[in-house]
Amino acid sequence: MNKLTKKVVIVGGGIAGWLTAGRLAAKHKGNTKQGLNVVLIESANIPAVGVGEGTWPTMRSTLRALGISETDFIRECEASFKQGAKFAKWFDGTEDDFYYHPLVLPQGFGKTDLAAHWLAKQAQTKQKNSHVNSFSNDVCFQEAICEQGLAPKTIRHAEFADVANYAYHLDSAKFAVFLQKHCQEKLGVTHIVDDVIGVNSIDTEADNPTEKGDIISVSTEHNGDIGGELFVDCTGFSSLLLGKHYQVPFKKCDDILFIDTALAVQVPYESVDSPIASHTISTGQEAGWIWDIGLQHRRGVGYVYSSKHSTEAEARAKLAEYVGDKFSSLKVRKIPIVSGHRETFWQNNCVAVGLSAGFLEPLEASALVMVELAAQMISEQLPASREVMDVVAKRFNETALYRWDRIIDFLKLHYILSERTEPFWSDNRDPTTIPQSLQDLMTEWQYRAPADHDFTSNNEVFPAASYQYVLYGMGFKSDYCHTPYAIDDRDFADGQFKKNKVLIDKALSSLPSNRELLDKIKSYGLSRI
Amino acid sequence: MAQLVAIDNKNHLNLKVDAAKAELHGAGLHLVPAVMSEFTNMAVQYPLVITKNADTGQFVVAAMLGFESGENLFWQAGQWQGLYLPLQIRRQPFFVGNPEHNKAQAESGDYVVCFDSESPAVTSNEGQALFTEDGADTEYFQQAKYCLAQLLEGELANKQLLEQLERLQLLQVMQMEVTFANQQSTTLNGLYTIDTEKLAALSSENISSLHKAGLLQAIYTLITSLGQIHHLIDLKNKQLGC
Repeated sequence: MNKLTKKVVIVGGGIAGWLTAGRLAAKHKGNTKQGLNVVLIESANIPAVGVGEGTWPTMRSTLRALGISETDFIRECEASFKQGAKFAKWFDGTEDDFYYHPLVLPQGFGKTDLAAHWLAKQAQTKQKNSHVNSFSNDVCFQEAICEQGLAPKTIRHAEFADVANYAYHLDSAKFAVFLQKHCQEKLGVTHIVDDVIGVNSIDTEADNPTEKGDIISVSTEHNGDIGGELFVDCTGFSSLLLGKHYQVPFKKCDDILFIDTALAVQVPYESVDSPIASHTISTGQEAGWIWDIGLQHRRGVGYVYSSKHSTEAEARAKLAEYVGDKFSSLKVRKIPIVSGHRETFWQNNCVAVGLSAGFLEPLEASALVMVELAAQMISEQLPASREVMDVVAKRFNETALYRWDRIIDFLKLHYILSERTEPFWSDNRDPTTIPQSLQDLMTEWQYRAPADHDFTSNNEVFPAASYQYVLYGMGFKSDYCHTPYAIDDRDFADGQFKKNKVLIDKALSSLPSNRELLDKIKSYGLSRI
Repeated sequence: MAQLVAIDNKNHLNLKVDAAKAELHGAGLHLVPAVMSEFTNMAVQYPLVITKNADTGQFVVAAMLGFESGENLFWQAGQWQGLYLPLQIRRQPFFVGNPEHNKAQAESGDYVVCFDSESPAVTSNEGQALFTEDGADTEYFQQAKYCLAQLLEGELANKQLLEQLERLQLLQVMQMEVTFANQQSTTLNGLYTIDTEKLAALSSENISSLHKAGLLQAIYTLITSLGQIHHLIDLKNKQLGC
């Protein structure tokens, strides 16, 4: 018997569960009779972890795919615009030490190697401290927009349209509720509030040997056994299906990324018209870094640190120093971080999405994007029948593993070029903690800038431009002296540098502040076109 | 900037308005807001386009009078040369006070008529008086008030029209590059128009509801008026001396 995929059972609500349910139901017409039956079982007793208040620009296409209005999303999820990240005090910890990882590509990217030209200019001016000139500001107009606290668009732009590429900061608890409502009301997802108390699988010899070990149903406390052809594990850190039931091992990466604890607080704004930063601010600390994310109604601030390099009391003191006077009145939440991921993600007819698959420190907002990418892949490649499931599972596992490895490499890259001297930072530079794949790339980049051909998968997470922003933001120098012809197209490159300056002026004179635009969207809304 | 002053028959008994000078307010406008009741009159000469309010991003209907900010091709030799003077110009120098600023008025539904004290049409000697000697409205002021009432009603009608156009997804971005006789060209940005293909494909229920709401004719007038772009190009070419 070749079982057709008619029903998908998602175990666990939260953003991972609802995004997966939404993508599946939207693509496979969950609200029609012929369409896919999507069921989500959510416990009333287990609170969502609420990881990730920062997204990637991919969230715009995800919302669109779900048929969600950007205006509704901004109004109901306290969302604000995010135009990348500002990394402060990562290089040497001094007051003026910062660089940006914006979301807009370097000017003329793909047409010229602007990084090579920029490096040549730096060498010419013989500045000792590369931080005097900002790579991101010289090649991209977005840093200036962020520094001025401006929005990436105006009230006259349509939903999802932009002047500068953007992502969001959002209230994850509100986002989960918003997604739930949309999935139920518009996309036909069935919501069952119940506790899963057992997993029933084919343990005896099945008619079809490939089905051995497949999950037939999950048992619930009040709704009996709920069966389906595909089960999605969105149960968070508990990893009920993939981890507990299938015993798929967890691969830690704490030998590469040392951060294992977060202390988080919610910081109210001074007043209703306090500016809202339109980028994530990440500030290097003695044993980690502090995130600072501006939503409409509050800031989310937290210190992620390595407990091997700092006591909790020291970490609290650093966080208190960062937050200021208000800190004593705020509730501090402590969240353990176990960096790593499952060895495989899709086993038999069960696939894990979200924290059940893995988690890393929130340095580049990778949590939600990994959920989006997984949900998209599952919905686009949904196995039509049991016959093709193993084929899809194999590809899914290879892709997911590749993505986790690239993210780990990219996060590690942020640490290895620092000149900070605290033990946390010097330990991070120890070559034995740097993955070979990253070491190989660093060797190549001594002679040239990161390029798209360094990343050959069509499932890349970070584009080459992102590596450029971090490398040259941290003062790395690629030495082109063996290939001087790389900067032969000087006139074209100078044109791009100039164009960037023009774009900066234009943006600064035409864009409203982040707060102003969000207030207008709340009052008037953005139009569809 | 307009300086609005609420009008009353004590302080403004002797106020006079030179109606001919009201036109001056339109001298440098390349877009003038239009209300539904005047679409037909507008369409005789001006292209009617849909654009977004810079402050709110809300759609508005406007008559297009020029190709760039500050250019009104119907303003020549110090006079409005168009056949029809838009209500938005004709209303000058009178405005309706925003009831939002005054709760009592908002609740009573009464509006306060104001005038723009900076307007070149406001004088104290020549022109039309607003009040008779015993303080009653003159015929001129009654007409002016009627004009404001038309605008207020028109705004509501426009709102309904634009809401239906958005709901039925009948709006589309209007992309147009115009080349003048001197080979100079300009790209028109930020304009929207009716998607005629989608209009043609509307279900009979939707068409019927538009018709019953009195919106169908307005929609076709908007579409037809776009032909006046050629008129506008012609005016521009003449101005360029080509």
